[in-house]
Amino acid sequence: MSNNTEKEYVLSVLARNNPGVLLRIAGLFSRRCYNILSIVAAQTENTEYSRILIVVSGDDRIVRQVDKQLSKLVDVEEVNVLEREEAVVREHLLMKVERSLQNSEKLVEIANVFHADILNVEPDSMIVELTGDATTINSFIELYNPYHVLKILRTGAMAMMK
Amino acid sequence: MLLTGAEIIMECLLEQGVDTVFGYPGGKVLYIYDALYKYQDKINHIRTAHEQGAAHAADGYARSSGKTGVCFATSGPGATNLVTGIATAYMDSIPMVAITGNVPCDLLGQDSFQEVDTTGITMPITKHNYLIKHIENLADTIRKAFQIANSGRKGPVLLDIPQDVTAQKYEFTPLSAPLPIPKPDFPYAGRFDQAVEMIQKSERPFIYSGGGVIAAEAFDELKEFADRIDAPVSSSLMCQGGYDQADRRYTGMLGMHGTNTSALAIKNCDLLIAVGTRFSDRVLCNANLFAQHCPILQIDIDSAEFNKNIDVDLKLKGDAKEILARLNELIGQRSHEDWMKNIENWKMEYPLMQEEASPDDVTPKEVLETLSRLTDSKAIIVTEVGQHQMWAAQFYQFREPRQFISSGGLGTMGFGLGAAMGAQVANPDKKVINIAGDGSFHMNCNELSTAANYNIPMIELIFNNSVLGMVRQWQKLFYDNRFSQTTLDKNTNYEMLAQAFGVKALTIKVKSDIEPVLKEALSLHEPVLINCIIDKDYNVLPMVPAGASVEDPILEM
Repeated sequence: MSNNTEKEYVLSVLARNNPGVLLRIAGLFSRRCYNILSIVAAQTENTEYSRILIVVSGDDRIVRQVDKQLSKLVDVEEVNVLEREEAVVREHLLMKVERSLQNSEKLVEIANVFHADILNVEPDSMIVELTGDATTINSFIELYNPYHVLKILRTGAMAMMK
Repeated sequence: MLLTGAEIIMECLLEQGVDTVFGYPGGKVLYIYDALYKYQDKINHIRTAHEQGAAHAADGYARSSGKTGVCFATSGPGATNLVTGIATAYMDSIPMVAITGNVPCDLLGQDSFQEVDTTGITMPITKHNYLIKHIENLADTIRKAFQIANSGRKGPVLLDIPQDVTAQKYEFTPLSAPLPIPKPDFPYAGRFDQAVEMIQKSERPFIYSGGGVIAAEAFDELKEFADRIDAPVSSSLMCQGGYDQADRRYTGMLGMHGTNTSALAIKNCDLLIAVGTRFSDRVLCNANLFAQHCPILQIDIDSAEFNKNIDVDLKLKGDAKEILARLNELIGQRSHEDWMKNIENWKMEYPLMQEEASPDDVTPKEVLETLSRLTDSKAIIVTEVGQHQMWAAQFYQFREPRQFISSGGLGTMGFGLGAAMGAQVANPDKKVINIAGDGSFHMNCNELSTAANYNIPMIELIFNNSVLGMVRQWQKLFYDNRFSQTTLDKNTNYEMLAQAFGVKALTIKVKSDIEPVLKEALSLHEPVLINCIIDKDYNVLPMVPAGASVEDPILEM
């Protein structure tokens, strides 16, 4: 499989909220050697169901296989392969950055440019929060990199068809 | 009516038409076994020597009868001992329901005595599994398990039931019939038009049939289809008997140990029609060199099998029986005289051979062909895994479905003896013979005690060559005769072992023993072991070595 045919797909899986359902889904990926880039399990309007959003990388053939294998799981109701263009895709980031008197203003400025929230400020660090697509979050992190990023927590993609 | 959980299990099994269960008692299934005691007139329980034997027996029962196999085991080691048996059934899509006990709900997750995460362990080898913690869900979950095991592509389902749930009482409302099996999709008309066009364009069509033909009970439709499109038919290991092997169209097995006729047919065909089969690597050999020159039409119930191991040109998803029946309505009679003539010539030119090592020598071919003749091709042949398995597939003539029972996907040595007992219990009027190698026999020979205990009149035929023959064959071909750990130096005295279990033993040493010994064994109504001594250097041929094309098998070595 050549790399140029590989791309990222977002799979949106609607599954019954039965015990072990996440394990069934994650287990299927690992035993069939499919790569999970990120996975987010989210509640839906119906508490009996969860929506699980999985970002996978692969070619079209792999993704079709993943789709069909997932669809065979008894607890899985529905699998949609979302194209990036047809869906709203958002991630959430919490980041702790080292802070000093000298750079404090600069750090706040970057947060403002991205409309990020500052959740906490300590004498030597601060925590910022941002929601956006992967590219925005990447550039946001990139801008903070020179100021010594202490910790990053980043959820996987949540996605919803337009 | 107010019943205990254990009694509800019995009632639900009866609802499903289950009359036979294989299993082994233990601490966490005491209530279940107590209920079995009460239901012993309705449910026949066979206690095996080891839980693995119970799982294989339930599997053999299912394969030979088409019904769902059921096995019981206790928690912890009881459940883990089932694992190989469940995985075997899963790989070959065999409907099975395994019921395991577990520690009471309040002890779950505390590393209690004989506690194991049974549902976690069996998740990758079952279609689905349930941990039933609430008695109010018990009956419906059991019903659902049977439904899942039998719908779409069949397979095993495991129910893990904590002990307290089997003891509690709950109101049970019987159902008059099992839950209906949902009807699989049927391809839309356009797909059939394409298929018909493909078939009508073809001058040299070739059919590759798989286990799905047997699961879907599609043999009559397959026969009619082959006649209608005038095509030769090969089969995977899983479809032995899915097509009448005495028929002139039958080219033999396809794949790693397939016939040269099947290899030539796939090399020369202009359309390959795969029915109920998953293009396993044992058939494909090298996927990049498999049927590259011709279009492939695949019929399968599991759409995940389309374009998985190989790309196919047209897919018909659904029940093989219904799809073939529809194709038979749509396609007019075709005629490919020259193609069929070619096939017949190849069959004459390349019969399956096995030369005696010395004149008076016993060959597996002669033993199996004699067995086939003496049983009028009507016995159920079960196998272990190895050379003897391939010889059984090659030299016994299978004419009906559910006659050949073998672990195809997982390749489980030790499968056969348990499976043969299950097949014999399901088919009391048929002769059941387990063809074993001495290596495989040792894996689970403990089950001879079960055969003796219940007087299950199966025949255990051991091809005893004092080596692990299939691995030895590979060592001969690719490892310069370095027979690492494949020589069984001090071999077992099989006759004495059988007698110790209370099983009659016979011996085949020379050619002239073959017929009288087989006749004697077949005339008995008790379990019999036959120690059939053969030379250690008989090979399984043809053979496609790793990486080579299925079209170019090695014919001699």
